[in-house]
Amino acid sequence: MTAVMKQDATIGFVGNPNSGKTTLFNAFSGANLKVANWPGVTVEKVEGMMKFKNQRYKLVDLPGTYSLTSYTMEEQVARNYILSDDVDVIIDVVDASSLERNLYLTLQLLELGKPVVVALNMMDIVEKRGLEIDMHRLPEMLGVPVIPVSARKRKGLGVLMHAAHHHINAKHPDKLIHGHDYTSAKDSKHAHEHHRDYTMVYSDKIEDKIDLIIDELRKKYPEIRNYRWHALKLLERDQEITARYPVDLPAVIDRSYESDIINEKYDFISEIMNEVIMNRAEREASTDKVDAVLTNKYWSIPIFLGIIGVVFFLTFFVGDFFKAYFEIAISWLGKAAASGLMSAGASPGLIALITDGIIAGVGSILTFLPNIFMLFLALAFLEDSGYMSRVAYVMDGIMGHLGLSGRAFIPMILGFGCTVPAIMASRALETKKDRFRVMLITPFMSCSARLTVYILFSEMFFPQHAMLAAYSLYLIGFAMALLVAFIIHLFDKEETEHQLLIELPEYKAPSARTVLIYVGEKVKDYLSKAGTIIFIASIVMWFIMNFGLHGYTQDVSLSIGAQIGKAIVPFFRPLGLGYWQLALALIAGISAKEVVVSSTAVLYGVSNINAAAGMSTLAGLLGASGFTALNAYCLMIFCLLYVPCAATLAVIKRESESWKWTGFVALFQISVAWVVTFAVYHIGTLFI
Amino acid sequence: MTLDLGKPGSTYIIKGMKLPQTIEKHLEALGMTYGTKVDVLNNKSKGTLIIKVRGTRFAVGRGISGNIEVSDR
Repeated sequence: MTAVMKQDATIGFVGNPNSGKTTLFNAFSGANLKVANWPGVTVEKVEGMMKFKNQRYKLVDLPGTYSLTSYTMEEQVARNYILSDDVDVIIDVVDASSLERNLYLTLQLLELGKPVVVALNMMDIVEKRGLEIDMHRLPEMLGVPVIPVSARKRKGLGVLMHAAHHHINAKHPDKLIHGHDYTSAKDSKHAHEHHRDYTMVYSDKIEDKIDLIIDELRKKYPEIRNYRWHALKLLERDQEITARYPVDLPAVIDRSYESDIINEKYDFISEIMNEVIMNRAEREASTDKVDAVLTNKYWSIPIFLGIIGVVFFLTFFVGDFFKAYFEIAISWLGKAAASGLMSAGASPGLIALITDGIIAGVGSILTFLPNIFMLFLALAFLEDSGYMSRVAYVMDGIMGHLGLSGRAFIPMILGFGCTVPAIMASRALETKKDRFRVMLITPFMSCSARLTVYILFSEMFFPQHAMLAAYSLYLIGFAMALLVAFIIHLFDKEETEHQLLIELPEYKAPSARTVLIYVGEKVKDYLSKAGTIIFIASIVMWFIMNFGLHGYTQDVSLSIGAQIGKAIVPFFRPLGLGYWQLALALIAGISAKEVVVSSTAVLYGVSNINAAAGMSTLAGLLGASGFTALNAYCLMIFCLLYVPCAATLAVIKRESESWKWTGFVALFQISVAWVVTFAVYHIGTLFI
Repeated sequence: MTLDLGKPGSTYIIKGMKLPQTIEKHLEALGMTYGTKVDVLNNKSKGTLIIKVRGTRFAVGRGISGNIEVSDR
């Protein structure tokens, strides 16, 4: 087995953000892996397996990056991984519609000395613009195979794999084609004929320095494999390489030659562009026409609000339409399970555990699947079409007043879906300060888990205006996020100019496959949450409700749950939430916000909580104890604002690398929730 | 002049930058090197721009655009 494993070859996928790298990777490896499609989020490598010509391949999706310097984490991760022995071939995904910029990374990759195959993606956009790329000359000039592919339409994949397969064993790859030695080489006074050996040949001044550094490196560090690349990095005064392989050549490396090296690479790229691009008469790209409307000075913000409105419409109205069918199915399942167990002679305790504990708890969450599905479908659509990055531009002015870059708005929108990926997306932000602020305010953006609480309680207590009640909570959460950012900005003494910088990719019809893989991933996450956290929480809830200190009890008030609930209820009483069952449900909700709903179902013993009958039962039970619409609204506000779920806290800890900050976020949010709910309750009672 | 004063529809040439090193290197890696042409596609009044450099569009905030020195061609 191990022998077979050793023969597995590894292909690393590298490319610029927005080059379609992840789409291509998904096309090969299928849906059986984690997809992180948001800009800058693919920091951990994602892996998949495939078979081609009796060879097993491990595919690795590296973080999207524009270059391979050591200035950012993503670039360091990508670079070190490619330099390691783990990668056999690199597939460099190049966006043909942005060829000039994408080739910069290609030239850097070629210098790393690993076999590279270029996958030329998005040729359809190029063709639509009436351009043509000389597919004979481009590989000649690069010295590596260039395969046109369409990641979206899944074309050219076989040829690409074939090319990668061919180069798998080329540890010291010879250039495929020697093509451009007629350029500067003829007049070169340089001692070596580098154009035979390397794609990218620098000016004589730089090449002389490289030679001198290589001589020194050979003497000092015989273990280095790629002298030329290390010499270049030393010339650039790259921090990582300079620290690891110091050389004493002050006359050669008298300054950083990084800008010179970048400029010469771009000069060569211009040379390539001049030779390979045909019909350069530029037609107006359709993207510019769309942008003229969507980023218009006056219309961009109303359009953005309209788009968000459509997202909510889909989530609530269309989602609810399907939700009704799920409710019917779940309540049927509950009844069927009860009668099935009864006829099988199960004990009443077991039947109660399954129907009132598990099916009530997990079932209450499963019925929200259509709403969750619609929300993530809409978000995936916004992201994959290219609109999301425009939002950064549109909102930059407003966010500037809050001391944040427009880019900070992207994690906030993603927060409507789930706070966890939203916080991960904060990685793409320009400064650390921005990141920490976004981690603090993003949990206020109402996520899909909290949606379950709103749908249940607003349908029970605001039957005529359920949608409005739920919508108002989204607005309150959004307003809180902005308010907190604004207050921090007011007290922030150092004035830092926010530095928005984001690529605006071409608009494109979202790929059904990418969207479906993304949504499928979210649905799977949601279901597995229902199957694990909510399943366990439901069982635990059922047990602490049915067992007292002296064993099984029919009297709920003697149960352990009642004891715990009554102990914490004083904290909630000033908020209009002085009900021990709800106090218990809210505490349990820290594991996951949906647990508030599932626990309420179990605690009040209502098995079909989302169906009309179940709702009226629960509303009746609550109403009998004096729980009014105001109390329901307070509950929803508290749910919106209090401590984010355990998964969010974990991701904040991971991203901030600080327990202190994580603890502060949790404490801050519970304080805000308490104060705001307190205010709403007491102001509310004045009017009612 | 600095890039934040750029007018939509006009083309400028990069003459220099005064930005923190990491941002400068990042911009250079994106192709915004000395002598590069920049098309300004959109300019909100406060210097937040949409520009096109080497065939790629970027949104750039005032903090950056105000520190890039450009000349009319």
